[in-house]
Amino acid sequence: MPETLTIDAIQQWLNRFASEITTQADWLTELDSAIGDADHGTNMVRGTAAVVAKLDDGSTSTVQELLKAVGMTLVSTVGGASGSLYGTFFLEMGRNSPSSVQLDASELENALRAGVNGVIARGHAAVGDKTMIDALEPAVTVLSRSLADGRQLHGSIAAAAAAATTGRDSTEPLVARKGRASYLGDRSAGHIDPGAASATILVAALAASVGEGIAR
Amino acid sequence: MIGIVLVSHSEALANAAMDLALQMVHGTQPPIRIAAGAAGGFGTDATAIASAIDDLATTDGVLVITDLGSAILSASLALEIRASTHQVVISDGPFVEATTAAVVGAAAGSSLADITAEASNALSAKKTQTLTAPHASVGNDTAPGSPAASAEERLINPMGLHARPASLLVQTAGEFSADVELTNTTAGRGPVNASSVIGLLSLAASRNDRIRIDANGPDASQAVNAVKQLVLQGFGELS
Repeated sequence: MPETLTIDAIQQWLNRFASEITTQADWLTELDSAIGDADHGTNMVRGTAAVVAKLDDGSTSTVQELLKAVGMTLVSTVGGASGSLYGTFFLEMGRNSPSSVQLDASELENALRAGVNGVIARGHAAVGDKTMIDALEPAVTVLSRSLADGRQLHGSIAAAAAAATTGRDSTEPLVARKGRASYLGDRSAGHIDPGAASATILVAALAASVGEGIAR
Repeated sequence: MIGIVLVSHSEALANAAMDLALQMVHGTQPPIRIAAGAAGGFGTDATAIASAIDDLATTDGVLVITDLGSAILSASLALEIRASTHQVVISDGPFVEATTAAVVGAAAGSSLADITAEASNALSAKKTQTLTAPHASVGNDTAPGSPAASAEERLINPMGLHARPASLLVQTAGEFSADVELTNTTAGRGPVNASSVIGLLSLAASRNDRIRIDANGPDASQAVNAVKQLVLQGFGELS
């Protein structure tokens, strides 16, 4: 019996993402004040709160619709690079999801991979550029490898979340090569990238929701 | 006429850049939309850019001009989520210079392809003027040959061939089918095509510099004469 992630579990993932972002907003803003414009926490709180409100209005009935609506909501409420990048992540996930009410493990893997590839294409960033890609790329790579090894979905997502955390922490010594932090040059080293930090929260929230929300 | 969308992190910056560029338009103004700021502060918003583009759906194409990094990112996402299907190009030109080139070019009725090239090349005037070596020349891609009509005049207006006279000259030359070129013979810069305000600025022509006007085409002598009159009248800046 394949493991599947229901639309309710996906909604739970996004609700959890929103509450974790709110909890850690000050930290995200602190990270952003070191190498950016000190608004990442505020912007993400505003965006994820809008997502929660959007999901609560019940206007989406399939996984594809839901993820696309999340993407558009983030684009129009977060602002700046983060809005476009998180928006692209969910729009691409939505485009690569079925018009059904659940995702099986391989559908989730495909959608996440498409989302990450969309972010890479949009921002022209690679691993090592000190961006959210440093957390997201290893997360989806580990997810795919773990599923291919025959591990279950919830264990594989937990491994992906651990990989995101490691990737996030790897950004600390890096010199930024993308975004406004890149204008700082060497002075951007010594700080965790705020985008990698919020992206890690996203993957961790998924792992927590998958652990609870899998229909077996 | 093509339309222009200005994408900036700052609404004040976008408005000022637009006003500065419009100073150089002396007839019908091109349609311009501003998509600036996000959530009441600095930032760019792909949905606002998309609706600005959709708003210009009846133009002959749209050039999107951006300021800092994420403006490009938001503009590229806007191209995906817009409702309209008309031609849109994201410029790689510098914000203020490209806005100037695009506004003047659009007002003169240039095509989207030509304006895209002008905007992209919009730093060349600044580069030429900051070169220490004399006789720098840009934009000379016209084959040499005998012009059908020529004239040489001295610039008499106090500020020389700055942006406003240059745009006036582009509009005047654009009224003729002849190909018009200008050379700053005093400084040895040019020739440059008179359809390009950026090219004309690269002549760095000051007061008292001598300017040669060459034209090729059926109405070459009328074109030379019209441009010559502009120069002789000091581009209307003498009073």
